Amino acid sequence: MNEMNNKWYSGMARTEDWWAVWLGLIMFLASIGSLWGLDLTGWMAKPGTWVWGEFSLEAMLKPSSKPDWHPMLSWLVTYLVFTILTCLAAWAMKFDLKRFFAGWSILFVMTWIIWIIGQEAHFKASVHEFDKFGLSWGLSLGSGFSYLLALLIGLIIGNFFKGTAEFLSEAAKPEWFIKTAIVFLGIKIGVMSIEAAGFITELVMTGVAATFVAYMLFWPIVYALGRRVFHLSRDASAVLSSGISICGVSAAIATAGAIRARPVLPVVVSILVVIFAMFELIILPGLYTAIAPDQPIVNGSALGLTVKTDGADAAAGAMLDELMRANAAANLGVVWKEGWILMASLTTKIWIDMFIGVWAFVLALVWVYKVERQPGQSKVGLMEIWHRFPKFVLGYLLVWFSYITIASTGSDTAETLHQAAAAVEGPMRNMMFMLTFLSIGVITDFSKLKGMGKLTLLYAIALFGIIAPIAYGVAWIFHRGMMPPTL
Amino acid sequence: MKADLEVRLIHDGVKWIAYHQQFEACGQTMAELDEDLTRCLLDRQLFPQNTHVTVFMIFDYHCIPTWIRQYAYHYFNRYIRLNLKSPTLEV
Repeated sequence: MNEMNNKWYSGMARTEDWWAVWLGLIMFLASIGSLWGLDLTGWMAKPGTWVWGEFSLEAMLKPSSKPDWHPMLSWLVTYLVFTILTCLAAWAMKFDLKRFFAGWSILFVMTWIIWIIGQEAHFKASVHEFDKFGLSWGLSLGSGFSYLLALLIGLIIGNFFKGTAEFLSEAAKPEWFIKTAIVFLGIKIGVMSIEAAGFITELVMTGVAATFVAYMLFWPIVYALGRRVFHLSRDASAVLSSGISICGVSAAIATAGAIRARPVLPVVVSILVVIFAMFELIILPGLYTAIAPDQPIVNGSALGLTVKTDGADAAAGAMLDELMRANAAANLGVVWKEGWILMASLTTKIWIDMFIGVWAFVLALVWVYKVERQPGQSKVGLMEIWHRFPKFVLGYLLVWFSYITIASTGSDTAETLHQAAAAVEGPMRNMMFMLTFLSIGVITDFSKLKGMGKLTLLYAIALFGIIAPIAYGVAWIFHRGMMPPTL
Repeated sequence: MKADLEVRLIHDGVKWIAYHQQFEACGQTMAELDEDLTRCLLDRQLFPQNTHVTVFMIFDYHCIPTWIRQYAYHYFNRYIRLNLKSPTLEV
């Protein structure tokens, strides 16, 4: 089976990146059906907060906007719709369909069980809700407990039940799940743009600065460190620098391709990126919440600059959003709106992602003219930029601008769309986040770090000694004092 | 950019290999691959001697581990202009 990108439309049916766009657009279009009176998203199940000792299926599980439906019917329809869509995608991507179906079904059921457990009031409820649920104590972690539990269980499977992890790997696709969730998030940023245009504009503008920092500051520093201190080859240093400094695996692959490196090089770097992203995901949200509980947008943006791979960044952003809001409610006496800290993290990251094709193009020119200096080499194909552009960003932008355009046509239209899209932006997006947390744990095997001593040391020094502190400083300069709206 | 010939490019862990229905060229470096490709084209007489041929090398992503595809699905494609008599020229 060949996988060659020789046309501009190559990959539209056979890559996770494009299927994130298709799944995201299908659900957005379904929500638009509400404008003609069609409720095509109300079947989506969502978990509710429940209290230990007071078991009630109706409290734990409910449909988004079909109150007369039994909760299990809503859940079954949710399973069927997403199973059909993901299996269709898996078939188009030529996965082992039977293994994907089995793996997906197991992950789906596990995700919902973990998600519902995490909604138990002692874990989730904020201090202001203790009376409502009759609690005398609680962890007040919001949805953060569900995320942590999913990650923990995924890591246990990935590191102690490797046969199971291998079986599930056909369906455990955190990057696909998170890219789909990000397309769903286009609705959220559409809503936010209407609510607080100035805030979103500022986030987008500082995304430009973040991009400059990642490419023009982090990359040269890490490259010099690799060359001069660790004596890596030019190729290895360039690929590693891109992986650490820019956007993780996609940057490592793009850079290696641009400089015609042997494929084994970006594969090794990608293993490092995925494992270190897990450390970042585990450490940074809690650390930032502890050191700067009153700087939510600084923390979100710093995550976007520091955490590599979209999956880990979005997951860390979601975790930070939950931890910081819960902490602010308990200790600062304010209740911030959900999603704004996550959006700060994602906006920064998406900006960085978008320019990887251009960066690889520039690197290819530098390698041709300055490094290899082969006579007669004069052109690098512009189509390479397109092939390396992250396509899910197109879906995100399309949903964002479509939402604003439709919602701007009238207040009734805006209200109807808002209600229908809530199922996509809320429970559907959160379910994809939960699947991401579980899957990212399943595919992370820490034992793969064995034998990578020098590269691991360089990665750790660069990430925690250079990138994380500078990223925090940059985020502080641009976002200090910015606050999400309060409820 | 229009090419006179398209080949499928892979890396087997040791060398780059360019596949075509009528030949298979290989080399440990790109320069060696280009030299071998020139030799193959001359041997098979697919094009007249002393002409320039533009070859489009399309990397087959199948030789990258499947788990990476969800992060990135393109490695690189490459146009190369070969002088079937003289040293390699890439455009």
